[in-house]
Amino acid sequence: MPNVAELVDRLVRFVGEVLSASTLRFDILTTLAVLGVMLIFLQLVARPVSRWVTRDAGGLGGVGRAMALAAESGTDAVVSLGAGGLVRSTDALARLQTVAALPILGHVARAAARSGVSLRVLTNDPLAGVLAAATIDASHEATVTPERHGRSRIVYVGEGRAVGAGLSLSAAARPAAAVAVGSLREEAQLYLEGLGGTAGALHAGTADAAQAPAPIMLATGVLIGPELYQAPADLRSEVEERTMVTSANRLIGVALALIVIGSVLAFVGVFDLRAVLLGVAPE
Amino acid sequence: MRRPSVPALVVLVGGLLLADFLIVNESLGQLASIVVDLAILVAAGAALAAVASLGLRRSMDLWRRRGDPLGAGFVLVGIAIILVAGLRPGSEGAADPAVRWILVALLIPIGATLFGLLFVFTLLAARRSVASRDRAATLLVAVAFLTLLLLLPLGGDAGAWLGGAARWALEVPIAAVFRGLLVGIAILAAVFAARTMLGIGPRDE
Repeated sequence: MPNVAELVDRLVRFVGEVLSASTLRFDILTTLAVLGVMLIFLQLVARPVSRWVTRDAGGLGGVGRAMALAAESGTDAVVSLGAGGLVRSTDALARLQTVAALPILGHVARAAARSGVSLRVLTNDPLAGVLAAATIDASHEATVTPERHGRSRIVYVGEGRAVGAGLSLSAAARPAAAVAVGSLREEAQLYLEGLGGTAGALHAGTADAAQAPAPIMLATGVLIGPELYQAPADLRSEVEERTMVTSANRLIGVALALIVIGSVLAFVGVFDLRAVLLGVAPE
Repeated sequence: MRRPSVPALVVLVGGLLLADFLIVNESLGQLASIVVDLAILVAAGAALAAVASLGLRRSMDLWRRRGDPLGAGFVLVGIAIILVAGLRPGSEGAADPAVRWILVALLIPIGATLFGLLFVFTLLAARRSVASRDRAATLLVAVAFLTLLLLLPLGGDAGAWLGGAARWALEVPIAAVFRGLLVGIAILAAVFAARTMLGIGPRDE
């Protein structure tokens, strides 16, 4: 029976053999550059709440009010995960938008669960439907409302980008609130027209830059371009965190204004702020 | 409540794919290939299960006369037509001429008809935007109107000047805004993807 030392020795030999059988795909500088980029991203991603923005992106803070209205009027709410899907034959950036839409779905689902509002999730991708179901499950678990779980449903609208738009245009149901987030391309105008035409409030977001006009013209709350990826990080920020960020931003603003004004005054020879603030003698 | 096994699995798979991207190693390549094949298999299984579930649910709708029986009928007939065309003996599957004909002669024209509505709905949305006095939307419509003026098909010096102004607008301010958006999207998409891979997110409400 081998002892621990032999085991470690074999492990080291095995790792050595694996390393000696490997070569770098790129030259050393490129490899270091890729790893460096990864390191910077790890530093960036370690902070889940975005640092500079404290505003209510996309008006998603108002979802709770919309759900309260839905509960009063006895209607439901609709969330569309866009038309990118997760395993459809489209580009990776479109599919990533569906992933970014899931935390937003979770936010809406928690508000709906608290208010007892039934939720309809529209998707054209089966795997996205499975993840949406899991997100709704988690929302009912988080809000301790398992008895309301049966009210929500996932609607698979069919394959393709046009079918979702066709369904939203032809649907007779009138939801209290509609949220369409994810990849929206040539169908964006039709999709949002259909949802916004019947819903009391429409929130829309897409990172497809060329389709920004459709949400701007049709939705009450919009997430344009990078905001779609930023919103999930800001959805559940604590009030204290937002206050701290706002205060810090104001301090930075005051400092920048002082620097600019001081520079201008010093440049025109009226007054040198450095003499007052830092005790530096004027040149 | 977060389950640590899922982020752990994602980190493991992500690390494996990253290592395969950077290092040429036969074993590593095979492992990465197995992982990618597994993901494709799971996705294909989920797609099949979803279609089966859709067919079953619509069949029950039709059987029990609930929901939208007409729509359920259309869905079932559509599934049946594609299945027969693609799976009949001697068929070439998705590349079969019958399947292609259904796509080219039915689905594409229907889709094109739907997208033909874009013109009408865009004009209606523009009118509503101006009426609602939303600042961003009004600015958008105003700029769109200005761009439309620049693109007027006029001849002579005025036409040449408008054409030049349109080209400048496209190449300078519009390109600047568009590229700025794309750079922002690329950076935040990468950060979001990394956060998702590592299971990092804000605290639960």
